[in-house]
Amino acid sequence: MLKGFGNFLLKELKELVRDPKILLGMIIVPLIMFPILGAVMGYAVQSAQEQAVKATLVVVNNDDGEWSNAFISFLQKAGVKVLVENNTVLENGKVLELVSKYNTTQILEIPKGFSENVTAHFSNSSIKASLRFYGVFLGTSVFESVSSSIVDGLVSRFNRAIAPDVLYTEKSTIVKGEIKYGVDPAVLSGLMMSQSIALPITIMILLTYSIQIAATSVAVEKEEKTLETLLTMPMDRLAILLGKLSGSIVVAAVGAIAYMAGYSYLMGSVLTGVTANINIDLASLGLAPSFLGYLLLGVSLFVTMLSALALAVILSAFAEDVRSAQSFVGYIYPFIFLPAFALMYVDINTLPYAFKLVLYAIPYSHPVIASRAITMGHYWTAILGIIYVSAFTIVVMYAASRLFATEKILTAKIKFKRGKRGKKPAEEFY
Amino acid sequence: MSLAIEASNVTKIFGEIRALDGLSFNVKSGEIFGLIGPNGAGKTTTLRIVSTLLLPTSGTVKVFGFDVVKNAAEVRKIISYLPEEAGAYRYLSGLEYLEFMAKFHTKDKYEAREMVNEAAEISGLGERLKDKTKAYSKGMKRRLLVARALMVKPKLAILDEPTSGLDVIHAYHVRDIIKKYVQEHGVTVLLSSHNMLEVEHLCDRVALVNKGKVVAEGEPQELKEKFEGENLEEVFAKVVKIA
Repeated sequence: MLKGFGNFLLKELKELVRDPKILLGMIIVPLIMFPILGAVMGYAVQSAQEQAVKATLVVVNNDDGEWSNAFISFLQKAGVKVLVENNTVLENGKVLELVSKYNTTQILEIPKGFSENVTAHFSNSSIKASLRFYGVFLGTSVFESVSSSIVDGLVSRFNRAIAPDVLYTEKSTIVKGEIKYGVDPAVLSGLMMSQSIALPITIMILLTYSIQIAATSVAVEKEEKTLETLLTMPMDRLAILLGKLSGSIVVAAVGAIAYMAGYSYLMGSVLTGVTANINIDLASLGLAPSFLGYLLLGVSLFVTMLSALALAVILSAFAEDVRSAQSFVGYIYPFIFLPAFALMYVDINTLPYAFKLVLYAIPYSHPVIASRAITMGHYWTAILGIIYVSAFTIVVMYAASRLFATEKILTAKIKFKRGKRGKKPAEEFY
Repeated sequence: MSLAIEASNVTKIFGEIRALDGLSFNVKSGEIFGLIGPNGAGKTTTLRIVSTLLLPTSGTVKVFGFDVVKNAAEVRKIISYLPEEAGAYRYLSGLEYLEFMAKFHTKDKYEAREMVNEAAEISGLGERLKDKTKAYSKGMKRRLLVARALMVKPKLAILDEPTSGLDVIHAYHVRDIIKKYVQEHGVTVLLSSHNMLEVEHLCDRVALVNKGKVVAEGEPQELKEKFEGENLEEVFAKVVKIA
């Protein structure tokens, strides 16, 4: 054993454990945040499954033979809510008409000759019977693939009961009112998921970096005692605040660009492989954001970043040094991580009202919500988010400017002592 | 002679602590005025109020006729403040730091360069001004900061413990700079120090501060004679005892 190691380690642990900022930020916050996240995601998975099972499956029976009726009975016995529509030619317009008529997101067509093919399969196993599945893609949640997967599961069960591989499903997706033949909703959903994960992660990293930069830049001025000199200069104090914010934004933006470039290269290399195999081009499916979409996302990200930075500047103004400032801004992180993680997997509209309200109230949710909304062309969702975050930013900026205009920028301090929080008089001032 | 500072019945309360308790003093234009007293006497609070950083809880302070609360922006144009433990930006060179500070006082490039040249001369740092300030010793940093405070030729320089933490040689150099600068440019200086011997040699007049009040005020020689002390330390001890 190294001489003095044990003694030193004990001291380190005592210091760390007794620092309430570390205890709160490193232990208590994750202990609270992740169970909440787990509950949100668990709920989302459960509700997606329930919805998929409860959802009406419109079965268009163009075969009306022995095996097609047997398959429909099998579906009904499996608990699927089935509505049967007989002898309907499923052209483009008809599929959409059925979707609208039955308010459904899934249609299964049993084509003519289905029963004949199943029967033929018993004498020649190379003959198979096909089913055609149409799933409506809403682009709201990764769990959209559930309905498609449930149909897959049912077909497998039917095959196991009758003959292996007798049935197979040709899948198509309805995107923004257009049928995309040969595109599996599950694969599309998986592809969209990779995009819907990329952006929240980027936003999360961008916000946490810029918050750290802003907090440190203010705290360094205090720690290095340069702020006092600056405050006596013949300059507008708002210029100090805006200078701090702008500097942090520039550094964070450069960091974000570098990060995005690296990440898009990574995603590009991953997606190229995926898309080559499944032959899906998101842009041609209308699932790549438009210029207006990108613009709205950029504005949403900018106002959110500004609000986070202003909040970081306020919090760090209460810190005595860089370490305290970084601990203080650590309390903002759960509000960044929670929506980013939750909205990666879950459609906000499927959540209980209280959760929905909480997520909408957190300003850092909005770029993530906007990223999903602009892909689907729901621009108003992004615009309303921008308005809300801008209002929040104005309030925070006003508070920050008031703080910089008064002596509070020097005297305001939060001292953690024996678990009590309170303002500490600045005794070193006299 | 006009008044550079008029501090009248100033109090400052931090929570439950009364840092200043009816403090009053006047500083004449063109003199070096010292606030002396032990740690916690209220010197720094006084300087911070004069330099518009803190607001007095009650009482008034005027700098060349401008109220530090009502006309703070005007006051900031004519003062230069050197905090006790001031630092410089670690990743800027000494020259960059001086340029940065000069640009707050003038938009004219020529004037700014003049200020920086002046500061370079005051600091005596020579080629080392091209180095980043993180590489400076404490003495070098203090000389840079004193030079920064004086280069703009303020009407009033407010220097909090200007020789704080410096060794004898560096402290002597900084005192020398201040004295010379005042003689050459007619700048008024308000400084604080708990080093009473230093103040005795540097200041035209001093105020002894204790527990947030001025307990005696006058020229060092005058005070020594009045309170029969060999130096200001003895004077201070006697004044505090009487008070």
